[in-house]
Amino acid sequence: MKRAFLGELEEVVLLTEAALQELAYCASITQTIDQQMGRSISFPTVHTTLQRLEEKGFVASQMGGATTERGGRQKRLFTVTAAGQRALLECRQVRVQLWEQIPTEIVQLWSA
Amino acid sequence: MERLKKSNVGPPEPPAWAKGLLGRFSPPGLEDELQGDLLEMYAYWVETIGLRGARWRYALAVLRLIRPFTSSTPKHACHYSQPPTLQSAMIRNYLKIAWRNLRKQKNHTAINLVGMSVAFAASILLLLSAYFEYSYDRFYKNAAYIFRPYLVFNEAESTYKASSLPYPFLPTLKAEFPEINQATRYIASRGKIYYRTKELTKDIRCADPDILTLFSFSMRQGNPSTALNNLSNIVISETMAKDVFGTENPIGKSVLIKGFGDPKTFIVTGIVADAPPNASMQYDAFIRIENQPNYAENKSQWNNRNHTAYVSLKPGVSPTTIDKRLRTFANAYFQELIRDLTKNGARPDERGSVVTVGLQPLTDVHFNTQLTAGQQTGRRYLYILLTIGVVILLIAAINFINLTLAQSFTRAREVGVRKSLGARKSQLFVQLWGEALLICGLSLVLGVGLATWLLPYFNTLFNAKLSLALLTNPLTILAITAGLGLITLLAGGYPALRIASFSTVHTLKGVFTGGKASGLRNSLIITQFSIACTLIICTFVVLRQLHYLREKPLGFIEEQVISLPVGDDINGAAALAQLRNRLVSNPNVIAVSGTAINIGSGLDGGESQSRMGFMFNGKEIVTDWVRVDYDYLKTLGIRLRAGRDFASSFATDSTSAVLVTTTMAKKLGSVNPVGMIFKAGENDNPYQVVGVIDDFHLYRLQNRIEPMTLHLQSRNPIQYILIRTTPQRMLPVMETLKDAWRQIAPKSVFMASFLDENTDRWYQQEERQSQMYGIAASIAILLSCMGLFAIVLLSTEQRTKEIGIRKVLGASVASLVALLSKDFLKLIVIAVVIASSLAWYAMNQWLADFAYKIEMEWWVFVGAGLLAIGIALLTVSFQSVKAALTIPVNSLKSE
Repeated sequence: MKRAFLGELEEVVLLTEAALQELAYCASITQTIDQQMGRSISFPTVHTTLQRLEEKGFVASQMGGATTERGGRQKRLFTVTAAGQRALLECRQVRVQLWEQIPTEIVQLWSA
Repeated sequence: MERLKKSNVGPPEPPAWAKGLLGRFSPPGLEDELQGDLLEMYAYWVETIGLRGARWRYALAVLRLIRPFTSSTPKHACHYSQPPTLQSAMIRNYLKIAWRNLRKQKNHTAINLVGMSVAFAASILLLLSAYFEYSYDRFYKNAAYIFRPYLVFNEAESTYKASSLPYPFLPTLKAEFPEINQATRYIASRGKIYYRTKELTKDIRCADPDILTLFSFSMRQGNPSTALNNLSNIVISETMAKDVFGTENPIGKSVLIKGFGDPKTFIVTGIVADAPPNASMQYDAFIRIENQPNYAENKSQWNNRNHTAYVSLKPGVSPTTIDKRLRTFANAYFQELIRDLTKNGARPDERGSVVTVGLQPLTDVHFNTQLTAGQQTGRRYLYILLTIGVVILLIAAINFINLTLAQSFTRAREVGVRKSLGARKSQLFVQLWGEALLICGLSLVLGVGLATWLLPYFNTLFNAKLSLALLTNPLTILAITAGLGLITLLAGGYPALRIASFSTVHTLKGVFTGGKASGLRNSLIITQFSIACTLIICTFVVLRQLHYLREKPLGFIEEQVISLPVGDDINGAAALAQLRNRLVSNPNVIAVSGTAINIGSGLDGGESQSRMGFMFNGKEIVTDWVRVDYDYLKTLGIRLRAGRDFASSFATDSTSAVLVTTTMAKKLGSVNPVGMIFKAGENDNPYQVVGVIDDFHLYRLQNRIEPMTLHLQSRNPIQYILIRTTPQRMLPVMETLKDAWRQIAPKSVFMASFLDENTDRWYQQEERQSQMYGIAASIAILLSCMGLFAIVLLSTEQRTKEIGIRKVLGASVASLVALLSKDFLKLIVIAVVIASSLAWYAMNQWLADFAYKIEMEWWVFVGAGLLAIGIALLTVSFQSVKAALTIPVNSLKSE
């Protein structure tokens, strides 16, 4: 089977989700991306991305507790599956590999 | 400002509409989490980007998340969603159930099928004829710009309109009005065409060259703009080309034509398509109007009106914009006429004109009964057709509704079971409505078949020109389909909706009440029978009026008098003299006379009226001014009350003597005006009254008897010759006359007819109407009774047990029949009362057209009511007697 490809947006969402751990649901993910990355990704985009990730088997979801600030509505909490963890690790590994191929003095030159 | 107000109220709320939208259209199963998430996001947005931006983003997000715009159909939500309403398996099931139901309820099905298909057939025919009447002359490309000019004469007592014009009128009009695009004069003439051995009488019309381009006639051969350039050119229709030339190419061939003065040779220069049946202008051929026998003398005569005309205006010009100039035009060219009219006491209209020119739209020509004497239909006829067609459909639809509702209890259990198995109301509605559609569709097919089969009979009966092509044209098919949809929506939709909304629990428990439904049912039955009764009463009244018109003595002998139109080819007075000489020795001829005004509607279709107004003793008098000849009284059997008849022995009779009717005598203010002298006419000629005669009806009975004066002035030509025969030898005289006429006027056509035929022809339209009402009434009562029958059938079936128990307890058959019938009879009686008032109103309107009319007597209404009640009683008792006679054992042991 061909390995499911992780797009850039998917990677960001998946990573944020992993960072938020058990607090990960659609609204919190959107807000975190907004705050920490300074990137305004719209709520519906995040929502569909999460659905896509679920279809691909990178995340799993279950209904979680309701709070007053959300009008007593339940939230769908997401957790990263084993496949998701593997995909994230692979992503990071590819990047690290590429970073290492850049000569050290050049990297130093950039950060100077 | 906004922010302040919000914070006072409490925590910010997202726009309610967007919230509601999300609640309603969120992807299945996701509503909860999305609402919650978005509420949190909203609070976050309010903090970070402010209220306005938050609301904006919230709305945008909702719009992207709601159903038609989102692609999210999550796996875990699948089991929530409904299957589509229509699945092929369900449709198959519906069809099967529908078919079983139709077969189980054979009576119901048969009544619905027969009723609906009869109604469809009748309505299709009626509505098609209405459409056909409406479509008259609308097919010409520039129909909206074509007008028929007419003249309006504001005479002393009335306004008289005529579409006949003098020869110089149109050329002058065209020259003076640049707004006129094209113009043609037109005479509906006939003539004989000779080619080799062939000799045919054809509608050879006289016109100007513009006629080919003014109307968008399509030319099969030849150039429309040049084909009539030459005086001896003739353009013929396709049919005529086939009739005269067969397979030869007619272009360039020369033919001999008689009927327009001396025989003349014409050369065929064009072939034009046949006129469609819904054109008011029908033709076989066109020649130039200059070929008319007396054209040269009358070319510049403004007071000899003998043809009609058509003009096309340039786009954007309307008759009202040129009205003022048309008045100036009329004042300039009809000076002589205006002077005469003014002398006779003419009253100018509100804008000061005695004679004006009007422009009548081409599309009104067919419906106009004022301008063209003859058999025009009148717009009312169209409305009658439309109303009857719709009303018959309504009756059939009511039958359908009533039957379906009355039967709904048989479906109640099915509905209950389906509902408890998860059928939604919309599904049930679609199912039941689909059944209605099935029946209606089937009836429509039968109805169209029936209509096709009846088409020829319909055409002969109502003098209609419907064709199958009209039935199969796409517009008709579209309209019929739309009509079907509407009717099934009406007739099937309401019962389907009611049945589909039965409460599940009640239906399964078997509790079923029809209280409200029977109220509706009763009012529908009343509606049906009101319509049917109204039609019955109308038929009665129209028939009685028609009988009255036919039988009313007109004041002269109708049966033995032949009227012979002289035609334009010969001089009337000379022809009369010759005919007198030939017939004087004939023992079967009692008298011969002549007149300028035909009695009744003759075979030449001509109808005219001539009036004269003058001042007498300071009072204005208007009279019919009828040119007659010697022996007029003897020929028509009109009684002389005082004085003497015209006689050739008095030399002054032909110049100054007149006979007056009693009404005229009254106008002159004297019981015996013999010897009185009055001055009238252009030169104030003196006229002396030599005799007084009884009133007689020279015009149809729509008109009141007017004062009438008979005179012998040779200035008015003799146009009809009247011959009175002995009662025994009427037909042989006709033959003799035909021979004599062939020698006297070899060029003209023999169109003699008896006066009683002529006067009958006056009322053709009324006769057609009475037949129409009669047939509509029969269909209406038939359909209504069929519906009633079915309902009684069902209600007696429901009461079988009750009847059984009543019988066991000793009820008599008569009391049972009364019990079962009286509810329905009550409805019919109410309907009769409603119908009487409706029909009384409608017929009062109709009778208002007649100066001489029947009184609407009470017994007509009672009679029609009794007829309706009788038919209904027969229908009801058929079932109720049967039910009352059933042996109670059978009905009681059935459970």
